[in-house]
Amino acid sequence: MRKTLRQMRPVYVVGIGLHRYQRLSDTPYVTLGLTAVREALNDAGIEWKSVESAYTGTAFIGMAASRPMLRHLGATGIAMAQVENASASGSTAVRQACLDVASSLTDVSLAVGVDKPGPIAGAPGKTNIHDLVGRRVVPFTHFALLANEYMNRYGATAEQVAMVAVKNNRNGANNPYAQRQKAVTLEEVLAGPQISGSLTRLQCCPVGEGAAAVLVASDDAIEKLRIDRSRAIRVTASVSRSERVYRDAKNFDAELTRETVAQAYQEAQIEPQDLDVVELHDAFTIEELLYVEAMGLCGEGEGARMISSGAVDIGGKCAISASGGLLAMGHPIGPTGTGQIAEITRQLRREAGARQQPNARTGLAHMVGVGAVCVVHVLQKDS
Amino acid sequence: MPEPATPSTELFSSAAQPTLNGRRCRACGYVFFPPQSYGCEYCGAPTDQLEPKSLSGLGSLASFATVHLHQGKEIEAPFTVGLIVLDDGPAVRAILMQRTDDGLKIGDRMRAVIVETNSEGGRARELRFTKEETAR
Ligand SMILES: [Zn+2]
Repeated sequence: MRKTLRQMRPVYVVGIGLHRYQRLSDTPYVTLGLTAVREALNDAGIEWKSVESAYTGTAFIGMAASRPMLRHLGATGIAMAQVENASASGSTAVRQACLDVASSLTDVSLAVGVDKPGPIAGAPGKTNIHDLVGRRVVPFTHFALLANEYMNRYGATAEQVAMVAVKNNRNGANNPYAQRQKAVTLEEVLAGPQISGSLTRLQCCPVGEGAAAVLVASDDAIEKLRIDRSRAIRVTASVSRSERVYRDAKNFDAELTRETVAQAYQEAQIEPQDLDVVELHDAFTIEELLYVEAMGLCGEGEGARMISSGAVDIGGKCAISASGGLLAMGHPIGPTGTGQIAEITRQLRREAGARQQPNARTGLAHMVGVGAVCVVHVLQKDS
Repeated sequence: MPEPATPSTELFSSAAQPTLNGRRCRACGYVFFPPQSYGCEYCGAPTDQLEPKSLSGLGSLASFATVHLHQGKEIEAPFTVGLIVLDDGPAVRAILMQRTDDGLKIGDRMRAVIVETNSEGGRARELRFTKEETAR
């Protein structure tokens, strides 16, 4: 019979580590990745030889990224593979690591996202299906079109959409791993430069380099390796879906998120109002409005008002993008989804310092990727 | 097994009022653009179930965005992209004749026009959309 992750044996995040997200530099990807993995091992208080499988989320580095990096921790012979799922690569690496532990194939598994930006050679461009716009519509224009449609439909203003960048940069200013660590005013966001439609530069995420690592483990491993159980955060849902043809829907991006998140709520047995922290795919400001509505955190068309109300600030009802999100923390692609799990773990452990959401117990991580795909995890602190 | 013969992948047909070359799935009725013959995205019906379906080049503007930053050489920013819901159903994205969004609003009636462009491979013809000048 089919089972959900929550019905299998429990899986816990026991270690997190990152290399700061930053502009492309000469730093080899090996250094980025090892920095994150070593920090995660130290955080968990375990040795590399305890890790039994490893998944590297990466989209740009190229074939066979894992072993040339991980061998420098000691070549232990464990299973390793790359996971590519566009922007959701790091999320999917986490999912694979969780599935290894949940199914009892392993007791400790690693997901590490690492990337350095490079030329895009994506498969969607190789289908031999052509449209009227080709490469003249890139993601920022895809979302500029959705922003214009949203503002027209609900009477929202460009200022309200831009407020997402103000909030997320304020959060990112307190995150030492963020690529953008500077609070910005609404005026600064709106000042431009203009990119596409109403979207200005600060309403588009920076794509740089970096790494994020997450170690997941079973109860058995926590006991045997004497891992601090009070800092272990359980993963109670892992859902991965792809876009369908939504014949009556205008916005496929929102629909895909709606059904993926709904399944995650059901599997974790939670309601949207249970969420204390959410990390979502805010590559562009408008996305945060679309997704908070699709996640049921507010009603249709109420997203703009919700952002401005403070309800999704740190200290509000549910902190959204407390890390700074993709807009401020950055979107190095491979690491992004893994980094979200690290942030939520830090929040649920109450170790997030200046950006701590008070009393955080339940968190959700959401990424979408070109294709389109959507990957959602729910993390909960055991009572 | 030989590859099945595929209809022309031309995106549009020339006429006084150009039409778009869509496809229709005989099995489920799904009408789509751009054309492809791999299989129906809605129901999975194979190539032989996908028939050509000419779509009127008339529709209404569902969204638009003026692009200010563009790296490709085949078009210079600013230019404006529109999302047009065709009267025959599918929504398509196209370059608009209007270089900026001045005077455009959602709901405007739009029609397809063929323009000659200078692409890197020489002169080419492409389908763009323009706002209907005549009042409805
Ligand atoms: Zn069909």
